[in-house]
Amino acid sequence: MPMMSALLVALLAADAAPPPVRVDVAELPAIMAAIKAPGAQAVLVNVWATWCEPCREEMPDLVRFYRDHRAQGLRLVLISADDDEQRSEVARVLGALGFDGPAFIKRGNDMAFIDALDPKWKGALPATFMFDGRGAKKKSWLGSVTYDDLRRRVSGLLARRK
Amino acid sequence: MKLASMVSAIAILTVAAAVATAGESTGGLALGTKVPAAVAKTKMKNVDGKMLSITDVTGKAGTLVVFTCNHCPFAKDWEQRIVELGNTYAAKGIGVILVNANDPKMHADDGYEEMQARAKSRGMKVPYVVDDTSGVARAFGASVTPEAFLFDKSGKLAYHGTIDDNRQEPDKVTARYLKDALDAVVAGKKPAVPETKGLGCSIKFRS
Repeated sequence: MPMMSALLVALLAADAAPPPVRVDVAELPAIMAAIKAPGAQAVLVNVWATWCEPCREEMPDLVRFYRDHRAQGLRLVLISADDDEQRSEVARVLGALGFDGPAFIKRGNDMAFIDALDPKWKGALPATFMFDGRGAKKKSWLGSVTYDDLRRRVSGLLARRK
Repeated sequence: MKLASMVSAIAILTVAAAVATAGESTGGLALGTKVPAAVAKTKMKNVDGKMLSITDVTGKAGTLVVFTCNHCPFAKDWEQRIVELGNTYAAKGIGVILVNANDPKMHADDGYEEMQARAKSRGMKVPYVVDDTSGVARAFGASVTPEAFLFDKSGKLAYHGTIDDNRQEPDKVTARYLKDALDAVVAGKKPAVPETKGLGCSIKFRS
Protein backbone atom coordinates (compact mmCIF):
# COMPACT_ATOMS: atom_id res chain seq x y z
CA MET A 1 0.00 0.00 0.00
CA PRO A 2 2.73 2.55 0.87
CA MET A 3 4.35 1.64 -2.43
CA MET A 4 1.12 2.35 -4.32
CA SER A 5 0.77 5.67 -2.53
CA ALA A 6 4.31 6.63 -3.48
CA LEU A 7 3.58 5.66 -7.09
CA LEU A 8 0.39 7.72 -7.07
CA VAL A 9 2.23 10.74 -5.66
CA ALA A 10 4.92 10.38 -8.30
CA LEU A 11 2.33 10.13 -11.07
CA LEU A 12 0.48 13.19 -9.81
CA ALA A 13 3.73 15.13 -9.54
CA ALA A 14 4.68 14.16 -13.08
CA ASP A 15 1.26 15.24 -14.30
CA ALA A 16 1.58 18.62 -12.57
CA ALA A 17 5.13 19.29 -13.82
CA PRO A 18 5.38 21.64 -16.79
CA PRO A 19 6.26 19.96 -20.08
CA PRO A 20 9.96 20.15 -20.94
CA VAL A 21 10.91 23.08 -23.15
CA ARG A 22 13.24 22.45 -26.05
CA VAL A 23 16.03 25.03 -26.14
CA ASP A 24 18.32 24.97 -29.17
CA VAL A 25 21.77 26.54 -29.23
CA ALA A 26 21.71 28.30 -32.59
CA GLU A 27 23.36 30.92 -34.77
CA LEU A 28 21.64 33.67 -36.73
CA PRO A 29 20.47 31.70 -39.81
CA ALA A 30 18.56 29.14 -37.74
CA ILE A 31 17.06 31.85 -35.56
CA MET A 32 15.92 33.92 -38.55
CA ALA A 33 14.47 30.79 -40.15
CA ALA A 34 12.32 30.26 -37.05
CA ILE A 35 11.19 33.88 -37.12
CA LYS A 36 10.33 33.84 -40.83
CA ALA A 37 8.91 30.32 -41.07
CA PRO A 38 5.51 30.36 -42.79
CA GLY A 39 2.31 29.87 -40.87
CA ALA A 40 2.21 32.85 -38.50
CA GLN A 41 0.19 36.04 -38.84
CA ALA A 42 2.55 37.93 -36.52
CA VAL A 43 5.81 37.01 -34.80
CA LEU A 44 7.13 38.43 -31.56
CA VAL A 45 10.86 38.00 -30.89
CA ASN A 46 12.22 38.61 -27.41
CA VAL A 47 15.92 38.68 -26.49
CA TRP A 48 16.51 37.98 -22.82
CA ALA A 49 18.71 36.19 -20.27
CA THR A 50 17.94 34.23 -17.12
CA TRP A 51 20.05 36.59 -14.98
CA CYS A 52 18.50 39.75 -16.46
CA GLU A 53 15.94 41.03 -13.94
CA PRO A 54 13.91 43.26 -16.27
CA CYS A 55 13.81 40.34 -18.72
CA ARG A 56 12.48 37.98 -16.05
CA GLU A 57 9.94 40.59 -14.94
CA GLU A 58 8.42 41.01 -18.40
CA MET A 59 8.53 37.35 -19.43
CA PRO A 60 5.23 36.31 -17.78
CA ASP A 61 3.43 39.07 -19.73
CA LEU A 62 5.04 38.00 -22.99
CA VAL A 63 4.13 34.34 -22.51
CA ARG A 64 0.60 35.18 -21.36
CA PHE A 65 0.09 37.43 -24.39
CA TYR A 66 1.36 34.65 -26.64
CA ARG A 67 -0.98 32.09 -25.07
CA ASP A 68 -3.93 34.47 -25.39
CA HIS A 69 -3.26 35.11 -29.10
CA ARG A 70 -1.60 32.03 -30.53
CA ALA A 71 -4.96 30.80 -31.85
CA GLN A 72 -5.02 33.96 -33.98
CA GLY A 73 -1.66 33.06 -35.49
CA LEU A 74 0.82 34.67 -33.09
CA ARG A 75 4.24 33.08 -32.77
CA LEU A 76 6.66 33.98 -29.96
CA VAL A 77 10.37 33.28 -30.49
CA LEU A 78 12.51 33.56 -27.36
CA ILE A 79 16.25 34.09 -27.74
CA SER A 80 18.43 33.85 -24.68
CA ALA A 81 21.83 35.51 -24.38
CA ASP A 82 22.81 33.04 -21.67
CA ASP A 83 25.89 30.87 -21.96
CA ASP A 84 25.40 27.36 -23.32
CA GLU A 85 25.88 25.94 -19.82
CA GLN A 86 22.69 27.70 -18.74
CA ARG A 87 20.57 25.71 -21.17
CA SER A 88 18.79 23.73 -18.44
CA GLU A 89 18.08 26.92 -16.49
CA VAL A 90 16.66 28.58 -19.62
CA ALA A 91 14.41 25.53 -20.12
CA ARG A 92 13.39 25.55 -16.46
CA VAL A 93 12.37 29.22 -16.48
CA LEU A 94 10.37 28.89 -19.71
CA GLY A 95 8.86 25.57 -18.66
CA ALA A 96 7.62 27.07 -15.42
CA LEU A 97 5.72 29.66 -17.47
CA GLY A 98 4.23 27.00 -19.73
CA PHE A 99 5.97 28.25 -22.87
CA ASP A 100 5.79 25.84 -25.78
CA GLY A 101 7.22 27.80 -28.71
CA PRO A 102 10.68 28.05 -30.27
CA ALA A 103 13.43 28.88 -27.77
CA PHE A 104 17.10 29.45 -28.51
CA ILE A 105 20.39 30.25 -26.88
CA LYS A 106 22.10 32.58 -29.31
CA ARG A 107 25.62 31.85 -30.51
CA GLY A 108 27.83 33.66 -32.99
CA ASN A 109 28.55 37.24 -33.95
CA ASP A 110 26.64 39.83 -31.92
CA MET A 111 26.69 42.59 -34.51
CA ALA A 112 25.11 40.55 -37.28
CA PHE A 113 22.48 39.33 -34.82
CA ILE A 114 21.68 42.82 -33.54
CA ASP A 115 21.49 44.37 -37.00
CA ALA A 116 19.30 41.55 -38.29
CA LEU A 117 16.70 42.37 -35.65
CA ASP A 118 17.05 46.17 -35.72
CA PRO A 119 20.04 48.25 -36.87
CA LYS A 120 19.01 50.95 -34.36
CA TRP A 121 19.28 48.51 -31.46
CA LYS A 122 22.55 48.85 -29.52
CA GLY A 123 22.32 45.42 -27.92
CA ALA A 124 20.93 46.14 -24.45
CA LEU A 125 18.65 43.53 -22.89
CA PRO A 126 15.74 43.10 -22.88
CA ALA A 127 14.50 43.88 -26.39
CA THR A 128 11.39 42.76 -28.24
CA PHE A 129 10.63 42.91 -31.95
CA MET A 130 7.45 42.40 -33.91
CA PHE A 131 7.42 40.94 -37.42
CA ASP A 132 4.44 40.41 -39.70
CA GLY A 133 3.61 37.06 -41.23
CA ARG A 134 5.83 37.80 -44.22
CA GLY A 135 8.88 38.37 -42.02
CA ALA A 136 8.91 42.17 -42.28
CA LYS A 137 9.75 43.96 -39.05
CA LYS A 138 7.01 46.26 -37.83
CA LYS A 139 8.01 47.41 -34.36
CA SER A 140 10.86 47.35 -31.82
CA TRP A 141 10.66 47.78 -28.07
CA LEU A 142 14.21 48.53 -26.87
CA GLY A 143 13.66 47.97 -23.17
CA SER A 144 10.91 46.36 -21.15
CA VAL A 145 7.50 45.64 -22.62
CA THR A 146 4.11 45.03 -21.01
CA TYR A 147 0.99 43.10 -21.95
CA ASP A 148 -0.74 46.39 -22.80
CA ASP A 149 2.15 47.52 -25.04
CA LEU A 150 1.81 44.28 -26.96
CA ARG A 151 -1.96 44.41 -27.09
CA ARG A 152 -1.90 47.90 -28.59
CA ARG A 153 0.43 46.96 -31.46
CA VAL A 154 0.24 43.21 -32.05
CA SER A 155 -3.49 42.73 -31.70
CA GLY A 156 -4.03 45.23 -34.49
CA LEU A 157 -1.72 43.33 -36.78
CA LEU A 158 -3.48 40.05 -35.98
CA ALA A 159 -6.90 41.62 -36.51
CA ARG A 160 -5.94 43.05 -39.91
CA ARG A 161 -4.73 39.66 -41.04
CA LYS A 162 -7.84 37.73 -40.06
CA MET B 1 23.79 72.44 -3.56
CA LYS B 2 26.45 75.02 -4.39
CA LEU B 3 25.75 77.36 -7.30
CA ALA B 4 28.60 75.94 -9.40
CA SER B 5 27.31 72.41 -8.88
CA MET B 6 23.78 73.49 -9.80
CA VAL B 7 24.98 75.19 -12.98
CA SER B 8 27.01 72.11 -13.89
CA ALA B 9 24.04 69.79 -13.22
CA ILE B 10 21.70 71.95 -15.30
CA ALA B 11 24.25 72.05 -18.12
CA ILE B 12 24.58 68.26 -18.09
CA LEU B 13 20.83 67.76 -18.08
CA THR B 14 20.47 70.18 -20.99
CA VAL B 15 23.20 68.40 -22.96
CA ALA B 16 21.81 64.99 -22.01
CA ALA B 17 18.37 65.99 -23.23
CA ALA B 18 19.81 67.23 -26.51
CA VAL B 19 21.87 64.08 -27.00
CA ALA B 20 18.94 61.88 -26.02
CA THR B 21 16.85 63.51 -28.71
CA ALA B 22 19.64 63.14 -31.25
CA GLY B 23 20.25 59.63 -29.95
CA GLU B 24 17.03 58.35 -31.49
CA SER B 25 18.75 58.47 -34.83
CA THR B 26 22.45 58.46 -33.98
CA GLY B 27 22.58 56.29 -30.86
CA GLY B 28 24.42 58.92 -28.82
CA LEU B 29 27.64 60.85 -29.42
CA ALA B 30 28.40 60.75 -33.11
CA LEU B 31 31.80 59.84 -34.52
CA GLY B 32 33.95 62.92 -34.95
CA THR B 33 32.23 64.86 -32.18
CA LYS B 34 33.70 65.91 -28.85
CA VAL B 35 32.38 65.36 -25.35
CA PRO B 36 30.40 68.47 -24.37
CA ALA B 37 32.55 70.57 -22.03
CA ALA B 38 30.07 70.51 -19.15
CA VAL B 39 30.02 66.72 -19.29
CA ALA B 40 33.79 66.37 -19.61
CA LYS B 41 34.27 68.51 -16.50
CA THR B 42 31.81 66.54 -14.35
CA LYS B 43 33.60 65.29 -11.25
CA MET B 44 33.04 61.63 -10.41
CA LYS B 45 34.22 59.76 -7.32
CA ASN B 46 37.03 57.33 -8.05
CA VAL B 47 37.58 54.14 -6.08
CA ASP B 48 40.57 55.83 -4.41
CA GLY B 49 38.26 58.54 -3.01
CA LYS B 50 39.46 61.31 -5.33
CA MET B 51 37.10 63.27 -7.58
CA LEU B 52 37.97 62.96 -11.25
CA SER B 53 36.52 64.21 -14.51
CA ILE B 54 37.09 63.07 -18.06
CA THR B 55 39.03 66.29 -18.58
CA ASP B 56 41.29 65.35 -15.66
CA VAL B 57 42.29 62.04 -17.27
CA THR B 58 42.56 63.19 -20.89
CA GLY B 59 45.65 61.63 -22.49
CA LYS B 60 48.16 63.06 -24.92
CA ALA B 61 47.40 60.32 -27.46
CA GLY B 62 43.66 60.04 -26.80
CA THR B 63 41.08 59.18 -24.16
CA LEU B 64 39.13 55.99 -23.51
CA VAL B 65 35.85 56.07 -21.58
CA VAL B 66 34.24 52.71 -20.86
CA PHE B 67 30.81 52.44 -19.27
CA THR B 68 30.90 49.25 -17.27
CA CYS B 69 29.78 47.92 -13.91
CA ASN B 70 30.23 45.19 -11.35
CA HIS B 71 27.07 43.13 -11.64
CA CYS B 72 26.50 42.57 -15.36
CA PRO B 73 27.60 39.13 -16.61
CA PHE B 74 28.58 40.64 -19.98
CA ALA B 75 30.75 43.27 -18.30
CA LYS B 76 32.25 40.61 -16.03
CA ASP B 77 33.12 38.38 -18.97
CA TRP B 78 34.99 41.23 -20.65
CA GLU B 79 36.28 42.80 -17.44
CA GLN B 80 39.78 41.36 -17.41
CA ARG B 81 40.27 42.31 -21.06
CA ILE B 82 39.01 45.85 -20.39
CA VAL B 83 41.38 46.23 -17.43
CA GLU B 84 44.33 44.85 -19.40
CA LEU B 85 43.63 47.21 -22.30
CA GLY B 86 43.23 50.13 -19.90
CA ASN B 87 46.43 49.39 -18.02
CA THR B 88 48.38 48.78 -21.23
CA TYR B 89 47.24 51.81 -23.20
CA ALA B 90 47.40 54.18 -20.23
CA ALA B 91 51.14 53.59 -20.46
CA LYS B 92 51.00 54.53 -24.16
CA GLY B 93 49.49 57.97 -23.62
CA ILE B 94 45.80 57.11 -23.62
CA GLY B 95 43.82 58.61 -20.76
CA VAL B 96 41.53 55.88 -19.44
CA ILE B 97 38.48 56.07 -17.20
CA LEU B 98 35.99 53.32 -16.38
CA VAL B 99 32.57 54.65 -15.43
CA ASN B 100 29.81 52.90 -13.47
CA ALA B 101 26.52 54.73 -14.10
CA ASN B 102 24.27 52.05 -12.61
CA ASP B 103 21.97 52.74 -9.70
CA PRO B 104 23.20 50.50 -6.86
CA LYS B 105 19.61 50.34 -5.60
CA MET B 106 18.96 48.11 -8.61
CA HIS B 107 22.02 45.93 -7.97
CA ALA B 108 23.88 46.09 -4.68
CA ASP B 109 26.98 44.73 -6.45
CA ASP B 110 27.30 48.14 -8.09
CA GLY B 111 27.84 49.94 -4.78
CA TYR B 112 30.96 52.02 -4.16
CA GLU B 113 32.63 49.59 -1.76
CA GLU B 114 31.98 46.73 -4.15
CA MET B 115 33.61 48.79 -6.92
CA GLN B 116 36.64 49.38 -4.72
CA ALA B 117 36.93 45.66 -4.07
CA ARG B 118 36.60 44.84 -7.77
CA ALA B 119 39.23 47.41 -8.77
CA LYS B 120 41.62 45.86 -6.28
CA SER B 121 40.92 42.25 -7.22
CA ARG B 122 41.28 42.99 -10.94
CA GLY B 123 44.47 45.01 -10.55
CA MET B 124 43.01 48.17 -12.09
CA LYS B 125 45.65 50.86 -12.53
CA VAL B 126 43.12 53.17 -14.15
CA PRO B 127 40.28 55.10 -12.49
CA TYR B 128 36.94 53.37 -11.88
CA VAL B 129 34.44 56.10 -11.03
CA VAL B 130 30.81 56.54 -10.00
CA ASP B 131 28.53 58.51 -12.34
CA ASP B 132 26.26 59.34 -9.42
CA THR B 133 23.43 60.88 -11.44
CA SER B 134 23.95 58.71 -14.55
CA GLY B 135 24.16 62.11 -16.24
CA VAL B 136 27.45 61.40 -17.97
CA ALA B 137 26.13 58.13 -19.41
CA ARG B 138 22.96 59.87 -20.57
CA ALA B 139 24.96 62.67 -22.19
CA PHE B 140 27.09 60.11 -24.05
CA GLY B 141 23.98 58.24 -25.15
CA ALA B 142 25.43 55.12 -23.54
CA SER B 143 22.88 52.39 -22.97
CA VAL B 144 24.80 49.14 -22.51
CA THR B 145 27.50 47.73 -20.27
CA PRO B 146 30.17 47.45 -21.42
CA GLU B 147 30.23 50.27 -23.97
CA ALA B 148 33.48 51.97 -25.04
CA PHE B 149 34.02 55.48 -26.37
CA LEU B 150 37.55 56.22 -27.66
CA PHE B 151 38.55 59.80 -28.48
CA ASP B 152 41.59 60.77 -30.52
CA LYS B 153 44.22 63.26 -29.36
CA SER B 154 42.09 66.16 -30.61
CA GLY B 155 39.19 64.92 -28.46
CA LYS B 156 37.01 63.68 -31.32
CA LEU B 157 35.18 60.38 -31.02
CA ALA B 158 37.15 57.87 -33.09
CA TYR B 159 35.65 54.56 -31.95
CA HIS B 160 32.40 53.57 -30.25
CA GLY B 161 31.24 50.11 -29.42
CA THR B 162 32.12 46.83 -27.85
CA ILE B 163 35.38 45.17 -26.87
CA ASP B 164 35.83 42.25 -29.26
CA ASP B 165 33.81 39.59 -31.06
CA ASN B 166 33.79 36.81 -28.48
CA ARG B 167 32.67 37.60 -24.96
CA GLN B 168 32.55 34.03 -23.75
CA GLU B 169 35.78 32.61 -25.15
CA PRO B 170 38.72 35.03 -25.10
CA ASP B 171 40.96 32.51 -26.84
CA LYS B 172 38.57 32.41 -29.81
CA VAL B 173 38.43 36.16 -30.42
CA THR B 174 38.97 36.92 -34.10
CA ALA B 175 38.28 40.68 -34.11
CA ARG B 176 39.82 42.84 -31.38
CA TYR B 177 37.76 45.94 -32.12
CA LEU B 178 38.82 48.11 -29.19
CA LYS B 179 42.49 47.07 -29.20
CA ASP B 180 42.75 47.73 -32.94
CA ALA B 181 41.09 51.12 -32.47
CA LEU B 182 43.48 51.96 -29.63
CA ASP B 183 46.48 51.02 -31.80
CA ALA B 184 45.16 53.25 -34.58
CA VAL B 185 44.56 56.23 -32.29
CA VAL B 186 47.99 55.87 -30.65
CA ALA B 187 49.47 55.87 -34.17
CA GLY B 188 47.48 58.99 -35.05
CA LYS B 189 45.28 57.10 -37.51
CA LYS B 190 41.53 56.52 -37.81
CA PRO B 191 40.32 53.08 -36.70
CA ALA B 192 39.46 50.82 -39.63
CA VAL B 193 36.27 49.74 -37.83
CA PRO B 194 34.97 52.84 -36.02
CA GLU B 195 31.65 51.48 -34.75
CA THR B 196 30.64 48.08 -33.43
CA LYS B 197 27.90 46.59 -31.26
CA GLY B 198 27.65 43.82 -28.73
CA LEU B 199 24.92 42.40 -26.55
CA GLY B 200 25.06 43.79 -23.04
CA CYS B 201 23.12 44.69 -19.94
CA SER B 202 21.02 47.82 -20.05
CA ILE B 203 22.46 50.63 -17.93
CA LYS B 204 20.34 50.90 -14.79
CA PHE B 205 19.98 54.67 -14.89
CA ARG B 206 19.44 56.56 -11.67
CA SER B 207 16.14 58.40 -11.54
